[in-house]
Amino acid sequence: MEILKSIYEVAWFILLIAGGVAVLEGYLYSHFKFYRKPLFEVSALIVFPLLGLLALKTFGLAAPGSYSWLAVSEVLILLFFRFAVKGRHTVPFMLLAPAFVGLALLLVYPFVFEVYLSFHDLKLTTIMMWKNTGTLPFAGISQYVKVFTTSPLSEITFWALLGRTLVWTFSNVFFHVTGGFILALMLNNQIRFKGIYRTLLVIPWAMPQVVAVLAMRGEFHATNGFVNIIITKLLDTLPFLGSLGVAPVQWLSDYPLLTCTLINVWLGIPFMMVVILGGLQSISSSYYDAADIDGASYLQKLRYITLPLIRPVLMPAVTLGTVWTFNNINVIYLVTGQAGGTEQADILVSALYKAAFTYNRYSYSAAFAIVVFAMLFFFSVFYLKTFDAAKDER
Amino acid sequence: MATVQFKKIVKKFGDNLVLNGVDVEIKDHEFVVIVGPSGCGKTTLLRMLAGLEEITDGEIFIDNLLVNELHPSKREIAMVFQDYALYPHMTVEQNMNFALRLRKMDKAEIAGRVKEAANILQLNKFLERMPKQLSGGQRQRVAIGRAIVRKPKVFLFDEPLSNLDAKLREEMRVEIAKLYQRLNATILYVTHDQVEAMTLAGRIVIMNHGIVQQVGSPIEVYRKPVNLFVAGFIGSPTMNFLSGRLKLENGTAVFFNKFITMPIPAFVLPQSEAQDGREVVLGVRPDDVLVERPGGEKCSGKIEGVLEVCELLGHRENLYLKVGGQRVLATVEAFFNRSPGSAVSLCFNYQNMHVFDKATEQRISE
Amino acid sequence: MKKQLSAAAKRKRLQHFFIHAGIILFAGACVYPLLRILTVSLRPGDKLFSTDLSLIPAGATFVSYARLLGDTMFLRWLWNSLIITLATSFIGVSLASTAAYAFSRFRFPGKKAGMILLLSSQMIPAGMLILPLFLMIMKLKLMNTYLGMIIAYSVSSLPFSIWILKGYYDTIPRSLEEAALVDGTSQVGAFWRIILPLSTPALSIAFLFNFTTAWNEYLVARVVLFSSKQYTWTLGLFELQGQYITQWGMFAAGSMLVTIPVLCVFLYSSKWLISGLTLGSVKG
Repeated sequence: MEILKSIYEVAWFILLIAGGVAVLEGYLYSHFKFYRKPLFEVSALIVFPLLGLLALKTFGLAAPGSYSWLAVSEVLILLFFRFAVKGRHTVPFMLLAPAFVGLALLLVYPFVFEVYLSFHDLKLTTIMMWKNTGTLPFAGISQYVKVFTTSPLSEITFWALLGRTLVWTFSNVFFHVTGGFILALMLNNQIRFKGIYRTLLVIPWAMPQVVAVLAMRGEFHATNGFVNIIITKLLDTLPFLGSLGVAPVQWLSDYPLLTCTLINVWLGIPFMMVVILGGLQSISSSYYDAADIDGASYLQKLRYITLPLIRPVLMPAVTLGTVWTFNNINVIYLVTGQAGGTEQADILVSALYKAAFTYNRYSYSAAFAIVVFAMLFFFSVFYLKTFDAAKDER
Repeated sequence: MATVQFKKIVKKFGDNLVLNGVDVEIKDHEFVVIVGPSGCGKTTLLRMLAGLEEITDGEIFIDNLLVNELHPSKREIAMVFQDYALYPHMTVEQNMNFALRLRKMDKAEIAGRVKEAANILQLNKFLERMPKQLSGGQRQRVAIGRAIVRKPKVFLFDEPLSNLDAKLREEMRVEIAKLYQRLNATILYVTHDQVEAMTLAGRIVIMNHGIVQQVGSPIEVYRKPVNLFVAGFIGSPTMNFLSGRLKLENGTAVFFNKFITMPIPAFVLPQSEAQDGREVVLGVRPDDVLVERPGGEKCSGKIEGVLEVCELLGHRENLYLKVGGQRVLATVEAFFNRSPGSAVSLCFNYQNMHVFDKATEQRISE
Repeated sequence: MKKQLSAAAKRKRLQHFFIHAGIILFAGACVYPLLRILTVSLRPGDKLFSTDLSLIPAGATFVSYARLLGDTMFLRWLWNSLIITLATSFIGVSLASTAAYAFSRFRFPGKKAGMILLLSSQMIPAGMLILPLFLMIMKLKLMNTYLGMIIAYSVSSLPFSIWILKGYYDTIPRSLEEAALVDGTSQVGAFWRIILPLSTPALSIAFLFNFTTAWNEYLVARVVLFSSKQYTWTLGLFELQGQYITQWGMFAAGSMLVTIPVLCVFLYSSKWLISGLTLGSVKG
């Protein structure tokens, strides 16, 4: 019965969205169709905002200033059609409209809202006020000041987090690429069981991440994890290792960042391997034949043929991998996020998630997020510029 | 069937002028081939007629109906694309009747038309196949069949044979010629291959740099090219060009350059004072360079040259000759039994000699 | 000559031996955690935390599975995940397929800006938008509902889906649509009758990508859903994996139940998925 109810609920929602898309397309269509007719502007200014107001009223979303907002946006849309679109390109705009309205509502608006939050003060004590009245006390740049002066969690500072994030990102990407490269080189031979090997090697990527991380976390458990069991068994058979300082390790409490890194390396190698393998297979074998005739050694072929030729495949993958790793909350939160979890493994993004949802410091977290975003943004712009410059040289 | 008129067609891609004032008229039941080097705008012109490309300026009429703003599907044309553009997810039959199904035509009528077209093109055995399972030539025939079943006013062919190998291309050329005799349709055919143009066309439109250079029957454009471009483009191997100057000696025009001096008779070039000192380019086809043969009065005097390379083609032989510093290509009957490096004498046949003004590149009419 | 050849063959055999050995070592590391979950899920209740390393434990039993299905709301969690994920993927792919077509085939003012917007949206830290989305969902009174989750998920994979689909549409020759136009369809008709049927592989990839992203999501679910009846399976498993010894076996059993189908789908479609990913990344 509940299943039927949930199906009904979701189906109703999808129909609602379909209806919204239809309304949107009809609206655009009427603009394209009639924008050249006399008096269109005047009538549009009255008709469309009124219809919008009616729609808002039926959903109970209308606010006192709604009509004027709708009218202003209608003027903007009219100007857009008159001067930018000029009645051509009907089809592409109508095709794009639903996706971009979706992105505007659920990507751009939240982003702007985040900026708004970062200049105000939303926390556990003010959230009821915001819920009821929709207004918040203005806080100026004090949240930004706090980002650099107080800890997002209980003790760690912004700068320590930043350093840790860079180490985390660099070491992860480094091991992903090296590991993926070595595996891809091994797989790119004429060997038996290649298909089976490839299947087995992508399992960490294919498993649901939550399962994979939690399972790996189990393996690092102090007494029941695979790693420590092996260490204990080694000590039983080779007792002299104990005098060299080998002992079971409290992975999760003593070395949480190392544990997270090991887990994430394990998770990330398959993707790189697959991408690099694709690149390797696209290199024509005639290059290697030519190099053989020229007398190149294995390493020389690697250096002068393989590396330059997989660069176009590797560079975007590395860029993407860097951004993903930098933004990886999942692994760290799943390993350390439970009650009583440590903050020794937190990086910038996981700290901002915890600041918002464990410590309920919403506006602080928003300011924190804007700072992180700005850093990532400038890094990307800088990186793309140098990448473009390198492209032009070739 | 129908007539087609292009009136002062202009096409710009941004600042790039692709077509600059094209005026062409195609009569009912006519097979017109547009030929020119790649980038000359010929395909653009065809696509504008099909409605696939916006018209920057000018007018296109089909059957005296202005079609500038008409949607492709309303123009009653059918097109055969260079890459055939067969729908990969439909069988041959579905490919052929797609347009008819869209028009909600009667089922029996559709089946009849497809059957008829399949008979003409010998496709009966393949109707249930997917395009992927067909050879290049069969795909080509399906593409043509898809056009035939429509019974359009005008057939458009966009370099239809360029993806086929040489032997198949010859076969399909003959097929298309036969098809034209059978359908007696209005056809506009675009190609960069002058052999296709010469063999298929009722009339040829030669284009270069977005401008129509010459319109005429194959024999006209071959015998009387109006400018240097047409002369060089039509005919294989390419025409020999000799640049030099004219002077008047005793009322007779004489052509000379560093290596060659010869009189030009009056039936080739009108003799007048105006020709004195004029810079010209002489054009002579390789067939009209006579090697080691008695000249006669329709021929220039003997000129001494050196044989550089012989190319045996079978029944003919290409001789690459050098007269001083001037290279001349001659095509003679096989076998020309001389070794490279030996001296030969040659003369030019006046009857097929063309004189062009060097500055304007236009033919100097006789 | 013959001797030399056999020496080369010998070297090659040795080389292959090392390659096999190396790959098997890595493959073992990849598969082992999965096998361990399997082992734990089969252990009888009193031996859950043992240091035994054998694959099939002594006294293997399905009691953990039975308890998982009987005592917890695992099936309900799976259903919640499924309906949220399906709705999300459906919305995401529909929006992406049309938008990607516009980007692939038309020139229009603002095209470049749109593409840049899509790319730069990938730079936004995922964790950053959770807070405003959470507040929006709260304001819309959709906390702890399917709709809230669907709203939060629906556009998250949109830029990437558009990117993949655009890359695929770009490989379909334009002349196919032109032929359709000449044959008598409208532009939209050509998209519907020609392009969409031909893009099934890319649409599947996009669907799969949307599906796995939403299916495996944890962080948004953590803050939007709070009653265990509404949990997705990720939340449920995380709870199970918590503190009590008895639940460790159920966690393992649940993990097996979600992983096996996902793994099958992934491995079955890996060829498409990988080609789609590399296509997208190479072009990006």
